[in-house]
Amino acid sequence: MDIDVKNLHPLEVKLLRHVSQGEDITPERIINELGYKVGQCNQAFSWLMAKGLLEEVSRTKRTLYEITETGETQAAEGMPVERIFNFLSEKGPHAMPDIAVSLNLEKSDVGSAFGLLSSKGVAKLNDERKAEIISNELPEEVVLQHELLQKALKAHSLDEASLSDAEKKAISSLAKKRGAASSPFRIVEREDAVYKLTESGKEAKEAVLAANITGEEFGILTPQMIQTGAWKNGTFRPYGINAPTSRLIPGRSNAYSAYLQWVKDKLIALGFEEFDGPLVENEFWNGDALFMPQFHSARDIHDVYYVKEPRHAKEIEEPWLSQVAATHENGWNTGSRGWGYTFDHEFTRRQVLRSQGTVLSAHQLTKAKVPGKYFGVVRCFRYDQVDATHGADFYQTEGIVLGNDVNLRNLLGLLKMFAEEIAGAEEVKYVPGYFPFTEPSIEVHIKHPVLGWFELGGSGIFRPEVTEPLGIDVPVLAWGLGIDRMALMHLGLNDLRELFTPDIESVRTRRGN
Amino acid sequence: MPKIEVPENIFFSLVGKRMTDSELVDIFPVAKAELDGHDEANHVIKIELNDTNRPDLWSAAGVARALKCYESGEIPYYDFFSTKDDERDSEGRMVIDDESAIGIRDYSIGFAARGKTVDDELLVNLIQSQEKLCTNFGRKRKTIAMGIYRSELIKYPVHYAAVDPDKTRFVPLGMDKELSLREICSEHPKGREYGHIVSSFPRFPYLYDDNGDTLSFPPVINSARIGAVEVGDSDFFIEVSGPILDDLLLAVSILACDMADMGFEILPVKVRFAKDTPYGREITVPYYFQKPMATPLELVHKKLGLDLTADECIEALKKMGVYAIADDGMIYADVPEYRNDYLHAVDIVEDIMIGHGLASFEPVMPEDFTIGRLSPVEEFSRKVKGILIGLGFQEMMYNYLGSKREYIDNMHVSGDDAVFIANPMSENYEVIRPSVLPCLLESESVSGHAVYPHSIFEIGKVTVKDAEDNSGTKTKNSLGLFSSDAAIGYNDAASYINTLMYFLRKEYTLSEVKDDPRFIPGRAAYIVYNGKIAGIFGETHPQVLESWGCSMPSIMAELDLDILMN
Repeated sequence: MDIDVKNLHPLEVKLLRHVSQGEDITPERIINELGYKVGQCNQAFSWLMAKGLLEEVSRTKRTLYEITETGETQAAEGMPVERIFNFLSEKGPHAMPDIAVSLNLEKSDVGSAFGLLSSKGVAKLNDERKAEIISNELPEEVVLQHELLQKALKAHSLDEASLSDAEKKAISSLAKKRGAASSPFRIVEREDAVYKLTESGKEAKEAVLAANITGEEFGILTPQMIQTGAWKNGTFRPYGINAPTSRLIPGRSNAYSAYLQWVKDKLIALGFEEFDGPLVENEFWNGDALFMPQFHSARDIHDVYYVKEPRHAKEIEEPWLSQVAATHENGWNTGSRGWGYTFDHEFTRRQVLRSQGTVLSAHQLTKAKVPGKYFGVVRCFRYDQVDATHGADFYQTEGIVLGNDVNLRNLLGLLKMFAEEIAGAEEVKYVPGYFPFTEPSIEVHIKHPVLGWFELGGSGIFRPEVTEPLGIDVPVLAWGLGIDRMALMHLGLNDLRELFTPDIESVRTRRGN
Repeated sequence: MPKIEVPENIFFSLVGKRMTDSELVDIFPVAKAELDGHDEANHVIKIELNDTNRPDLWSAAGVARALKCYESGEIPYYDFFSTKDDERDSEGRMVIDDESAIGIRDYSIGFAARGKTVDDELLVNLIQSQEKLCTNFGRKRKTIAMGIYRSELIKYPVHYAAVDPDKTRFVPLGMDKELSLREICSEHPKGREYGHIVSSFPRFPYLYDDNGDTLSFPPVINSARIGAVEVGDSDFFIEVSGPILDDLLLAVSILACDMADMGFEILPVKVRFAKDTPYGREITVPYYFQKPMATPLELVHKKLGLDLTADECIEALKKMGVYAIADDGMIYADVPEYRNDYLHAVDIVEDIMIGHGLASFEPVMPEDFTIGRLSPVEEFSRKVKGILIGLGFQEMMYNYLGSKREYIDNMHVSGDDAVFIANPMSENYEVIRPSVLPCLLESESVSGHAVYPHSIFEIGKVTVKDAEDNSGTKTKNSLGLFSSDAAIGYNDAASYINTLMYFLRKEYTLSEVKDDPRFIPGRAAYIVYNGKIAGIFGETHPQVLESWGCSMPSIMAELDLDILMN
């Protein structure tokens, strides 16, 4: 049997213990015999039915005549027709209005009662137009009505099925379905169901008995029970462990931020130190220091957000400015031939919103230690139409590795480690790439267990034209990881805008994989 | 990144064999190219080129050349290049630059080609190559504009001069009436697109032949006669104009090599400049102007982490189309005619890397030991987050760009300290947030359906003006917190702040907020820490709630983490 009787409610347990297979089980019986309230009784029946322990055997429609308050009064004081009969019998003939006043009855009631009496030849109007009794016997119908009222006073209601035809006729004029307050009886239609214990019900009953479950087990454990030790005198009712739970709203970290935190922790574990910086940059750090020529197409007004006010930084730090400018013009002493154009010293001070994370890598070069590993998860801004794959601002994850002997193979090793540790890659593939600030440049493509092949990031060895003007004379590996795609997958999203949604409900229910 | 679309037939005949898509995917990386798509119905291959410094690769011929070279290891030989000391015969073809163009658009150079009748596909492909060069490499024709002309109609020499824009008239391509150069700038579609490049000068560039017949108005439009190249033509004159001579020479070299690869015979043209150039007053074009580049073998070893021999380096460079020799620990490379991207020895190193094959470099981990460390602000932020989450707050994350309406108007603040964008793409993203609070209120305004209370926070950056800073701005690390509920007030806010500050071990005092339209007067306080105002909190003013369309009472607070951290 698949019902665990330990999970039965005490109301169910007591009912099961009380009934046997083959018996008719009715709510009336349970209410009478177990003292259940109607509501408890209904609960017990519906739960047991749902579990298949009880089943309905029959359902019968009944018409009941329930005695009303009026009926109870009339049973005690007599019906109007009886009272008029008695009054006239004792006090002699009276005019109708006098009867109504004396007996405190409605004139209409007096009229209809007299009508009944006269139609049965019990009363008549005499010559003085007064009502007069002419028989000392009440009509049979009234006698029957009297008896029905007395019966109903005891039984509360009378079942139509138990009445004789004469009684049915007699009661019909006393009963109404609606607006019955002024009538002695109310007609009530009722369905009575009879239930019986099913085979599983029988097994459940036996199991309850065998397990010695009485339905008297403890419910909630109260402080009093502990203080008095009352809990020692009984057992605890087991609860249904699969009951629906209520919703709790906890304080929580944002799922995207938790993911970024996880990435940061991974990088810390790999020996990287985190860097950070302001959102407002200038063309010098945003492009010039990265050896992007000032006429480079990515530095167009249509690619970078310019700051309205102040338009220019007050100054660019020396010696970086002179060294970078010379490198652009003629290579300075980096061994490069430079870009061969005249460096624009006003343009370089023009303020922009940081458009790439590598800007902070450039800043870091001026204060980096050798050997050193640095990274940042930094907010960047790009002049793009906002859609599912482009945000107004977004995070880039970038970093550098400085060392006397770091080289391409170390870069590949690093990328492999990121691919495996951070992206969970199954396979890693390297292809030549192009970035204005690295040479050689490598793109790393990975085969992700869910996303398949995609470009995880770009990397390379910083050009000497980048590192030397910023005071670094060792090789610098530079890398950037596109982790947004993995973040989306981690969060089960497919629209970058969702990462920064203001919708509280959506953020509350969001969780990572 | 430039993208090109090339007809299958032209591309595969240039490569010398047909290739499957997956073969293309595998080989393309040697040209830093990606297969962007293959329109099989129209027989067009779409290629994306990643190297913005290699305009030679932005054409079918260029990509095909790189692939062929890589597979065969054979460097193509182009016999039509002149050098300073070795001139090809220009057979009387000549371009004469007039000094009137100096300062406007200094140079015009050109070459001729013949021997192949162009069909539709070839013509479209030629025009595409020309457009890519002028748009991506020539900065939308600013530094390179190119014209292709019907050579048999030209009487050499061709003259290049700057002329009176109102008196010079011709029938431009695509029209049937004569217009002055100035009229072209306003009336011709190309004039409206490119006229601005020269329209501020008193005289406009003009190209015409010795009969006085118009070739073009560079960099805007060709003439409708000599400049109207059509299917069936087989004799061409190609002219390039612009202010930077090396860029023009490179563009000409690229196009000449491409056309030679397609089967044209390249015919040199002599150019007489109006001023001195590093190559003299007269050169014959196409002209090999590149200087050789060298790298110590040691640099190759140091950068690549693999001790390749000089021969291996030379072999690798050959596959990249680069002829090199080794001598005394040095590799000397001759830059191919169609390239000018060797700025530094490391550029040779990269070609060696690609030519040798990336797959042959075994990844190894760097050996240096370094200590990983979070930034101080990240470490402090995590502490703050932990406390707030314990207090039942949900962490939020927002964009940093928004509208004036959200960040300023709805907050009833002046916005004087806000940093605006000079070139916003839309008014939805026109200002950097000066505070976290409007973001939190935006959440409130869109979250009426979420179960209350709404207790949310964000730790992030805000930017305000700051005259003392070199940038005139200051990016601050800020904590914003917000809570709304039917019964919430100042005391709740004060309790949150008190609890937060207790666990951060920050002693603080409060001072009265006199005039801040974001808060109900008399129900807001400044948090004073170390003698500085480190934050503010209080009951949100109903005027702010009304502006945001919110109807639940709320409290909010914003703290400057940079001040609290110290």
